[in-house]
This record gives sequence, structure tokens and C-alpha cells, in this order.
Amino acid sequence: MKILVCITHVPDTTSKIQFTDNNTKFDKTGVQFIIGPYDDYALARAVELRDQTGGELTVLNVGEAETEPTLRKALAIGADKAIRVNAFPKDAYFVALQIAHYAKEGAYDLILMGRESIDFNGGMVHGMVGELLGMPSISPVMKLDIEGQSAKMAREIEGGKEYIEVDLPFIAGCQEPIAEWKIPNMRGIMSARTKPLDVVETISDETFSQVNAFQLPPAKGAVQLIDKDNVEELVRLLKNEAKIL
Amino acid sequence: MSSFYSKKDLRFQLFQNNPVLTLSQYSYFKDHGKETYEMILDAADKIANASLLPYLSEMDRKEPVLENGKIRLHPAMKKILRQFGEGGWINAPYTYEEGGQQIPQVIQLAAGFIFQAANYSTSVFPFLTSGAANLIRTFGSKTLIDNFTPKMYSGEWQGTMALTEPDAGSSLTDLSTQATPTGEEGVYQIKGQKIYISCGDHDACTNVVHLLLARIKGAPAGTKGISLFVVPQKRLPDLRSNDVLTEGIYHKMGYKGAPIAHLMFGSHDNCLGYLVGEPHKGLSYMFQMMNEARIGVGMNATAIGTAAYQASLAYAKERPQGRKVGEKDPARPQELIIAHADVKRMLLFQKSIVEGSLSLILYCAYLSDLVHVQKGQEREASRTLLDLLTPIAKSYPSEMCCLTTSAAVQVLGGAGYTTDFPAEQYYREARIHPIHEGTTGIHGLDLLGRKVIIQDGMGFTLLMKAVGSTIREANVHESLKRYTEVLSHYQELSQKVTLKLVEKARENPEEFLADATLYLEFLSIFTLAWQWLRQGISLKEAKENGQIGEAFYLGKMTTLEYFYEYELVKMKALAEKLTSSHFPTIKMKAEWF
Ligand SMILES: Cc1cc2nc3c(=O)[nH]c(=O)nc-3n(C[C@H](O)[C@H](O)[C@H](O)COP(=O)(O)OP(=O)(O)OC[C@H]3O[C@@H](n4cnc5c(N)ncnc54)[C@H](O)[C@@H]3O)c2cc1C
Repeated sequence: MKILVCITHVPDTTSKIQFTDNNTKFDKTGVQFIIGPYDDYALARAVELRDQTGGELTVLNVGEAETEPTLRKALAIGADKAIRVNAFPKDAYFVALQIAHYAKEGAYDLILMGRESIDFNGGMVHGMVGELLGMPSISPVMKLDIEGQSAKMAREIEGGKEYIEVDLPFIAGCQEPIAEWKIPNMRGIMSARTKPLDVVETISDETFSQVNAFQLPPAKGAVQLIDKDNVEELVRLLKNEAKIL
Repeated sequence: MSSFYSKKDLRFQLFQNNPVLTLSQYSYFKDHGKETYEMILDAADKIANASLLPYLSEMDRKEPVLENGKIRLHPAMKKILRQFGEGGWINAPYTYEEGGQQIPQVIQLAAGFIFQAANYSTSVFPFLTSGAANLIRTFGSKTLIDNFTPKMYSGEWQGTMALTEPDAGSSLTDLSTQATPTGEEGVYQIKGQKIYISCGDHDACTNVVHLLLARIKGAPAGTKGISLFVVPQKRLPDLRSNDVLTEGIYHKMGYKGAPIAHLMFGSHDNCLGYLVGEPHKGLSYMFQMMNEARIGVGMNATAIGTAAYQASLAYAKERPQGRKVGEKDPARPQELIIAHADVKRMLLFQKSIVEGSLSLILYCAYLSDLVHVQKGQEREASRTLLDLLTPIAKSYPSEMCCLTTSAAVQVLGGAGYTTDFPAEQYYREARIHPIHEGTTGIHGLDLLGRKVIIQDGMGFTLLMKAVGSTIREANVHESLKRYTEVLSHYQELSQKVTLKLVEKARENPEEFLADATLYLEFLSIFTLAWQWLRQGISLKEAKENGQIGEAFYLGKMTTLEYFYEYELVKMKALAEKLTSSHFPTIKMKAEWF
């Protein structure tokens, strides 16, 4: 089975986010980057499926050279090879276009990615790739098993779960608890150095949107501790300071 | 819970403040680089968050118990040990041929720092196994290596260091455990008892491999008659009992997740031990491995101090209490306590000690890597400087992190004294480090009585040279000149005090060493001030290259200033005592107390 996992290269969840150039550019100074947490779930399940069924697992990222360490991390976790589509990921459509183009040539049985990235949180790429490739695209998938040429999965829906079955090939946007995050071992880390990482060029520059500016949410206020018996003070604060009563 | 360490600072210390990346020029480390190191640190962070941190307070509250002669651990420990083993963490620095990955010590130690800061107890188990296996692979026969190390590396077997006895703690010379030849070469009957043996027995492994010091029957008295043995709890190949009994478990003050045991060897005259290397060389083998273990202890203290600092910092940013000096209006909302100068003092104290210590310890670990790969005179110089710095890197963080964790408790006020917050646990956990791997008193004696004077004071001279070159480098930066002047002054003072003490070595050895612990503190403060100046230079460079942000830069620069204003000045008082001719500690008699 040939599996493609598309990963994002995103700031560590504990990073302090700041913008420069009049709030139009993300300030990367001192920021650590990680594999998108939802993509990490997709990758973990893909490693398990590859181990079960044999075959090959490729990871792909649309990004500039700085994302290669993140691809190497995916190789350390267990992917067999990595592809970097050499471009800044301008918007969801642009990314989907590159993935669809690459995936078409590779004839993958399964294309997994996170339900959304944690930087822009669009949650659109898997849907667009499905559309561009004419394949089913399902998200958010929290359980996935492959039996022969079909897959059974569970999807989270409002207030419950939905159980689905589709034929391969298809695309899935994944989330926990599809698999436990895998932590690379030393051997994996060392072998990641020598696994192939190929760089391919983009096929089109087409985008649907552009970012004008970013805005941070207002700073969080301090926590105030109020004695559990002092309900009056609590009401006063909720009314006068929090202004929610 | 807040973060328990700063990822940013750890990276800064490794990649900007220490030349760790240059290690790849040596063929032993040629396969490594920033990318591999990042992945290792990342993996350590994930293990720490997913498997270690969640049990921090639970392991403290449900301590191990001795049941039917076996120590039962927290049930999570078994999985954690496998994770360390299967992840390749125990033998990571060893050669490819041995199944290791030739990871530099400095990186292994940095990963250890993450584990220790998350949950110190859990980190003790692999640390000990790794140390014990290292002794076997360095000095043991091929048979010993083949028989014992693979299962130690996989985390299935626990390694220990079995040195201490009821009558032999600081003074190992007096140990009495006996080894009697069996007639079979290298195999001895062991008889004796050991106390306080960390991880000496537990149910998360299938065998325990003790690296034990004993005297071969008829061996000369004193340190020269001590030999090193591998004594398994269960004998190979069938894993039947080897007459090693767990007599008791001690109830400790902190890091309760890792047990210490009282062990009886050969109560039924049926305990076999296998000689490691040559007879009577046991203590020297141990000491050759000690640098790494001792730097490791300094790192443990630093890691616990770091976690306590982070916890108190998070609290100080959320707790409103009191108003700024001069603010008289009670209707104004209260300030967060981090606005008060005295609270910032407590936070700066912690930050200056833990980040200064981290800088020193990683520098020492880097030197230890150099010793591994350099040759000839270069290697000798690295080794001599490392030998001198080791008692400092072990003891200063250990002693100071007792104080920094206390400051962390203080930042939290009443909350710090309760078990609702982790500060009190860190405070208890930090307290072990001035005691094990040689007490501070013993390291004071080692520094002044040995390291400073051997090879005609070569170690001390190398330290002064290193400091001198840092001062010259720092002088390029206008804003660091203020510190270089001060450090030059204290460098002179260090030399003067050391010379005065050393002159006394022959004429009055008792007076010479009476205040060795104070001398250790004196030279440690100087060493940390040097490390802070090194950081100052690295900060300037990293800032210019856009590798660090403004707040990180300013925070550390202000901490550098704090160290020079508040800590370095303590050298003056110490110098005064160290050069005084009054010795109430010698004069005082037991019956006068
Ligand atoms: C939690 C814990 C874990 C341990 N783990 C291990 C282990 O895994 N393996 C192992 O073998 N041991 C272990 N130990 C033992 C530890 O190494 C010893 O406790 C330590 O070496 C001190 O020895 P002692 O307890 O006999 O103290 P003592 O040697 O009795 O020291 C008491 C005091 O006297 C001072 N003193 C002693 N001699 C001198 C001197 N010549 N000059 C000046 N001052 C002196 C010391 O500095 C100290 O302040 C552990 C201990 C603890 C508490």
C-alpha cells in the first residue's frame, strides 16, 4: 500500500506569537517549529498501517527550505521518504493544488493529513484535495482501519460519532484518538539523516486569497482568587470588572 | 501546569552559548548536527510531557513499598523504563557497534535535563543503569559485556552503584564487604551489606546488576585494596537467585518514586560476584567514571531548580496581592506580585543560579566530549580543566538549588508550603544533591586539597586562562565592559586567596583545609560569574544574528547584571574569611557544644 501523509510546519504550541511589518508578517525569531499536532496523529496512524500492510509511506510538506527539519522529524518517526514542494504555502487552495498534483502522479492508496493546521486553522485542504483528485475526502476521522481495498472509519460529528466505509483511494483529515503520537527512538532519529528527502517545484502559483493583516487576541487578565464564602465579592467583580452579569 | 523548563534557553545554551555544533568535526560525532540534536531534544520533551510529568505528584504521594522481600514501584514505572530502553536513551552515547548512536554527552545530558525537570524520580533509573553499564563496557571482559549490557541497554535490567556501607560512606577506604576467590577465574563469593542503594531492587525490571565495591580477601588495607564486581540479583543463565536480599527500604525526604534499599549480599554464603578489570583497581575505575556522574548530579539539581523557578514564575504572574510602593488608594486593584521588587529579586536569584549552572554544566559536558575525541596535549588540557571544574559543577548547583527551590516556595507564600502546588516537592527533591556522589564537604576537600594543587596548579591556571580569554572577547562589546572590569578584579582576588591558602598547605594542613567548603563556594561564584559573562557575549551575538528575541535577550542580560550585583559580591566576605588567621572551627571542642 502506498500512503501519503501531508504535514504542516507550525510554531510549537507554547510559542509566544508576535507579528512584524505592521501586523502582516509572523515573527519567527526564537520560535520552535513542530509537525502540526493533528498531522502528527495522521502520521502515527500511517506508520501503523504501513507496518501492518507493508508498502511505502511518504510525507509531504509545501514549504520553504526551513521546513526540512520538520520533514526529517517525520522520517525519524517512521516515514520512508519525504517530499518538499518548494514554495511558501500562500493559502489553502495553493497548498491543495500542489498536493493534488504530486499525489496524482504517485497513485497513492491513502492520503492522510490533520483535520486542520494549528497556525491558520482553515481545515479546508483535505476537502480541496479530494475535489481536485475526484476522491472521497472525510474529516475529522478519529478511527481508521483498512481491510483489503476498503476502509472503515469513525468520524466525529456534533454530539456523537458516525461510522463510515469507503473504498480506497481516499483522503482523510485526522484527529485524536486515531493513534497515539509516536516518539522517535534514537535509531529512528539517526536513520532519518540518510532517508531520501526530495525537493520538487510548484506547478502553479494560483491562490484564492491573500492575508492583509493579523491581530492577536486581547491579553489575558490576571486570575483573582476569591474566598469561597465571599459570594458578594464574586458578584461584585463579575458585575463591575468582568461585566458579564 | 506551566512549562517546567525553557526550551528557548536550553537551545541557546547548546547552540549559541556552547560550541556543541563544532563537535561534528571529530569523526566520532561526524554523523550528528543540529537537526539530529533538535530531534533528540524534541523526543525527550515528548516523553517528559506524556510519560513523566503526569506522575510527578502521584509518585511523591504513593511511595514504593517493600512487600515479601521485593520493592514494589508505582505501576507506571515499568512502562517508563521500557520507553527509555526501547527509545535507545540508555546507551545513546556508546558506539554504533555496541548498538549506541555516538551521541555527544552534552546532548545526552541536555535530554536528561528535560527528564529530570519533569519528574526527577523517573530519571534516576536509566541514569544509574547507564552509569553501571558504562563501567562494565569500559573495564569489563567481553563475557561480562555480552552477558550483562544488552538487557541493561533495553531497560529490562536495572543497573546500580553499590558502594556505601554502614561504616563506609564518605570514607570508602573503610568498606568491609568481602570477596573470596572461588577457584574459578574472576568469580568470587561476596559477603557484606550495602545501604542507601538507589534502585537496588524493584519490580519494574527482571534483574538488578550491582556494580559493587568489595575487598578481596587478603587485599591491602585502604583504597588500594578495593575491587569492582558485577553482582547480579539473579544469576545467569537461568536467573536463579544469587543470594542478594533486600533487607529494607528507606523512607526518603524527596524523589520518593525512586527507592533506596538496604541490601544483604551472601547471607547464605551463595552470592557470586564477577571481577571487573583487575583486582584492587575498583576505586580508580569508579573515579574515572565519576566526572560524568558528578556533572550529572549538578544537572539534576539544576533541573529541579529550573522546574521550581518556572512554577514560581507562573504563579507570580497570576497572583494579585498588594499595591506598588507609594500607592495609597485601596480602591485601586491589587498588583500582580511579580510587580514587587522583592518578588522579582527572588525570581532573578533563581534564574541567575539555574541558567548560570546550566551554562557551566553543559560547558563541562562539552569538555567531556572533547576528552573523548581529542588527542595529546589538547586532550590533557581539556581533561585537567574538566577535573578542576567537576567539584564545582557538582556542588554549587546542588547547594544553591536548595536555596533556589526555597525561594520558589517563598514566591508562592502560604500556597508554597501546601501540597496544592509543586514548589514544596521540588524543595524536598533538591536536598539530596549536596549529599550523594560525595558530600559538599568532600568536594571542598577534593577541590582545594587536590584539584587546585596537582600538576603544579595546572587546572587552576587553565581556568584563569579561560576566564582571561572570555574577558578579552567580552571587551569588544561596550556594554559588557562594566562586567569585565569587575570580573578581572575578582580574578585577581581568586588568585590571591588561592595562593595564600596553598602556601599554607605544607606548614599547617589542618588550617589549609578547614574552610575548604567555603573555598569551593568562593571559586564556584567566580566560575558562575565567568559563565554569565560567556552568556553575555553569546547573547550579544545571537541578538545581532536574529537568533533570539528582544525579551529573551533583555531578560538574560538583566539576570547577568543581577548575578554581578547580588551574588558575585559575596566573594568579598568569603575572601575575608579565607584569608583570616582565626579558626574557631578548629579551636572548638566537641564537649564545648
Ligand atoms: C537518597 C540517597 C541515595 C543514595 N544512593 C546511593 C547509591 O546508589 N549507591 C551508594 O553506594 N550510595 C548511595 N547513597 C549514599 C551516599 O553516597 C552517602 O550517603 C554519602 O556518600 C555520604 O555518606 P554517609 O551517609 O555515610 O555520610 P558521612 O560520611 O557519615 O558524612 C556525614 C557528614 O560528615 C562529613 N564528613 C565525612 N567525612 C568527612 C571528612 N573527612 N572531612 C570533612 N567532613 C566529613 C560529610 O560531609 C557529612 O556532612 C545514597 C544516599 C542517599 C541519601
